[in-house]
Order: sequence, then C-alpha cells, then structure tokens
Amino acid sequence: MTDLETRALLPEGLHDDLPPDAEFEAELVARLIGVFAGHGYDRVKPPLIEFEESLLGGPGAAQAPTMFRLMDPVSQRMLAVRSDMTIQVARIATTRLAHVARPLRLCYAGQVLRVKGSQLRAERQFGQAGIELIGGAPEAADVEVLLLAAEAMALLGIAHPALDLTLPTLVPAIAQGLGLDEAATRTAREALDGKDEARLDSLEPGPRALFAALLEAAGPAEEAMPEILALDLPPAARALAEGLAARIAHVRAVMPDIQLTVDPGEYRAHEYHTGFGFTAFARGVRGELGRGGRYLVEAPGGGQTEEATGFTLYVDSLLRALPHPAPAPTLFVPAGTPAETARRLRAEGWRTRAGLVPVADAAAEARRIDCTHWLDGSTPRALT
Amino acid sequence: MAANEGLIVALPKGRILKELRPMLDAVGLIPEAAFDDPDSRALRFATSDPRVSIIRVRSFDVATFVAFGAAHIGVAGNDVLMEFDYPELYAPLDLGIGRCRLSVAEPADLMATDDPRRWSHVRVATKYPHVTSRHFAARGVQAECIKLNGAMELAPGLGLCQRIVDLVSTGSTLKANGLVEIEKIAEITSRLVVNRAAFKTRPHEVGGWVDRFREARNAA
Repeated sequence: MTDLETRALLPEGLHDDLPPDAEFEAELVARLIGVFAGHGYDRVKPPLIEFEESLLGGPGAAQAPTMFRLMDPVSQRMLAVRSDMTIQVARIATTRLAHVARPLRLCYAGQVLRVKGSQLRAERQFGQAGIELIGGAPEAADVEVLLLAAEAMALLGIAHPALDLTLPTLVPAIAQGLGLDEAATRTAREALDGKDEARLDSLEPGPRALFAALLEAAGPAEEAMPEILALDLPPAARALAEGLAARIAHVRAVMPDIQLTVDPGEYRAHEYHTGFGFTAFARGVRGELGRGGRYLVEAPGGGQTEEATGFTLYVDSLLRALPHPAPAPTLFVPAGTPAETARRLRAEGWRTRAGLVPVADAAAEARRIDCTHWLDGSTPRALT
Repeated sequence: MAANEGLIVALPKGRILKELRPMLDAVGLIPEAAFDDPDSRALRFATSDPRVSIIRVRSFDVATFVAFGAAHIGVAGNDVLMEFDYPELYAPLDLGIGRCRLSVAEPADLMATDDPRRWSHVRVATKYPHVTSRHFAARGVQAECIKLNGAMELAPGLGLCQRIVDLVSTGSTLKANGLVEIEKIAEITSRLVVNRAAFKTRPHEVGGWVDRFREARNAA
C-alpha cells in the first residue's frame, strides 16, 4: 500500500464531504433551522460529548448500544459521544430551562456518531436537525409537530413525502387488556413490527385473530383507521387509536395532499415513544428521512416528569432524497485587477476566485481552476 | 428515481419457483413467455401488468434485493429471512409453499455415542452461519461455522466437520450420505416479503399485491 492510499483510507462509515456537497449540506441545515425558527423554535447547541449517564437517562436508554464511550481523564468518569440529540435537548429543557414557561419550543442541528452503521445507512457519522416541543396540550402539540415535519420536507423540495404514523404502546395495551403474558406480548410486538404474520401462530386463536387484523390494517390512514377502530379493542387501546384518529383528522384538514399511512404495530426505534410516533419517508428514497413522536422526560432529582413531542430529520437521508444543485457560478479575476473591481463584483453577488500570478490566457486559467466565468477587463464572460 | 416507476418483484430460482408458478397465475401476475423457458438467459421479465416486472435471482439474493429497495416485493423462505434478519424487510404473508425444515444432522455412528448436553463447542458446515451460531449460542454452545454454498452432506464424511445445518425436506439426501437429523431448528415455508419503505410510500400498490396474494393463498 502506498502512503497516499493509507492516508486516504477512512474508518468504515466515515467520509469526507467535498465541494459542492459540503456546501449544499450546510445550506440545507440552514434552511431547516430557518423553517423551525419561523415557527418560534429557539436553537440550542449541546456539546458533542457528555457524561454517559446523562445521555442514558429517560429516552436515552434505547441508545446505549449505539454510543462511543471514552474515559474523561479530568473527572475520571465515563463519557459518551452523542448518538442522538433528542436526549440532550430534553436534558436542557428539564435542567437549565426548567423555569421557562411551557410549552417550550427548541430546535437544534448537529452531528451524531454511532458505533455501527445500519443496513441502509452505512454512515456512522451524520447530521441531525430537529425540534422538540416540551409541555403543552398533547394533541395540539403532536399536530403542530407533524405539520412542521411535513412543511420542512416540502420546503426543501422533497418530492412525494410520506408520514407513517404508529402507536408504539398499542400492542402492549392490547396484550395487557387481554391478559397475555410477557412472552406472548413480545411475540405479538415482534410479529407486528416485522409484519411477520407467521410469527403470530404461537398465540391463542382469539388474540391471534385480533393481532392479525391489526397487522392487515397497516396502510393508508383513511383505510387503516376505520379498520382499527372497528376491532374489539380493550378500552386503553381504543383510547390510543381514537387519539391517533383525531390527530390525523387535524393534519388532513391543513394538508389535504400529504400521504399519511398508519402502521399500528411499528415499534423498533420507537421504544421510548409513548402514545404516538411517526417516521418520514419519501417515495423512491431508500430508508427513513426522519423520525418523531411523543415521549416522557424525567426531571433530575425526582422533579416532575414532563411530556414532550418532537422530531429529528436525518441530513444524510435528505441529501440522498434531493437533486444536487449545479456548482455555483465562479468568476476568475486575473492578477492585477483592482481590488475595488473584485469587491464590487462580490457585492453584486459574484463568487470571485483571484489569480495569484499574471497569466497570458485568462479564459484558459479560469477553466483550469474550475471557474465558470472570467473577468475580461471589467466584464464577466462565461466560459464557452 | 421517477415517482411513477414500475414495481419490481424478485422471485427465487429453483425449488420454490415451481410451487409458486400457479400462484402467479392466480394473482394475475403473468410473466412473459421467456420466464418459463429454462434456456432463457434473461434475468428480468415483463409481465401482463405493464407497471410490474419480475427479476429472477438466487433465493438468498431475493432478501437482499428487497431489503435494499432494489426490488419492492419478493418471495423468500424464512430460512433466508432468519439468516439475514434484515430490519427493512416485512414478511406479511406466509404463502404455505416450499415447506421443509432447517435441521442439525450428524453421522449415524457419531449419534450413538454423542451427548449434546455436554457440548461447549461444535464445528458445523452450513449455508446459514448466523442462524446456526444463534441457535447454538441460545443453549450456551459456541458454534464455529464453516460457510459452504452447497453439498453440505459431504462435509462430515470427508472430515471437514462432524455436523451440518441444512434444509431437510424428505431426508433422503441425508440418508444417502449416512447422516441423521438430530435436531430441528425451524419449520420453513416461503413468505411474501415487502420492502419497508415501499410499503409506506406506495401503500395502495404494494398493499394491493399483498391482498391478492393473500386471496390466492387462502383459495389454494
């Protein structure tokens, strides 16, 4: 292996973003934050690394296997690199911002690191951008968050966005209502999550029929909700389903065209969501664009537990879903051009790239250093 | 990718396809004539529905094509699904075809003296290293898997290992090679599999095919 090859190799799941992708990503994040700020969400910026135990608290427990750890030589405690930012924002809301009036609206964007890539996302480092809405009336808050997720995707220009809504606590609520034991509950949950009908075969005929009907109901919201509500559900489960139906009706009233699907059994990665969760997809894009839902945040020191709702969009998935823009026009300014001329052109919106030494053929030099235009006296000319 | 692009159905070659073929007619997914021509080298086939095409791949690759969204629907045995355990793969329908079982087998003479309760380490030749190590790990046995792509039955006789994990339907191949089935890991049938993102973003199309296959299976 030559020296170059060794130096070019990056660890698995990590990569360099080059022009113009790096700029496009930054622009995308800025646009997202702009949308969030437009709805009154204030930005927070937690650190990249924290004490392991604070990242594992409350909704963070599910992230334990995904985090890199290191030892802090200063405090002699274990630190973890964040693998998800929701937990950090929840921590901020219940500690430093505990005294701020609810509902509290916060937004964030940053990089996260995971010990392992997933099947569809080999990246171990990627960007997240999202919002958290802490406190407030649950139903109205969930609707706000769903609409904001849809609006953000639409503003970025994602073609055919789709939101898939789920009730992560529905299957456990049904199982409890039917008096099923822990093993049967887990079977039902796994079968519905993986849409694996055959796995239900080990259940008693009554519960099996109910869960099979639930599994079959997954699909477009307008068809799935009546099917789910027509089932003979225990009271707690029925309340969950009715709550979801009400949220869907609100979202539908504001955004009649957005594609909404309901998957009553989706559970994986919604482990910490209570009541309701959702996943954002776009047609033709493999994998998820983002995820959100309702969860509980525990205040440290036995303070009052709060309810929160929010979502995170995955910047790498958004980049895959969007057409990449053409490189920005760049103007070659030959050496010797007065600084004032170049300044005026930049004020007009040009990106200038200055020549450092005089050249005979400015157009050829412009092409060599990847410019789209060159300055002929004081007139920009396009390279042909 | 264009939003109105067609749907791709991945079907396995060989054993399962023979049993699946009548079901394709029943659901109205009629492939072009080349599909039934054993001499055809084509891999992708048009169907009676202009929006749907079929690709024919190895059974293990069905799961991979569908999991990554390269195909939207497929048919695969749950042996393959267990081996990969792809989170992006849904298996909404047990088609009830391709029945067999995934089993552990060893030479008949070894069985006479062997006590599985005393094992701490076994060496196994298999096409299913993941399922095999998970199966043995669940009882505290470390399995060293030797991945083979076929003819597992030869391995014990030639001293590659003593045990194999493989699909068994009638057991005649095992018998011909002096092996006996000592333990069943799972019952196997073929499943209709669906890509998760396709299921969410094209619910009408994909859900429609799942429903048609369900009707065909229930009628069979």
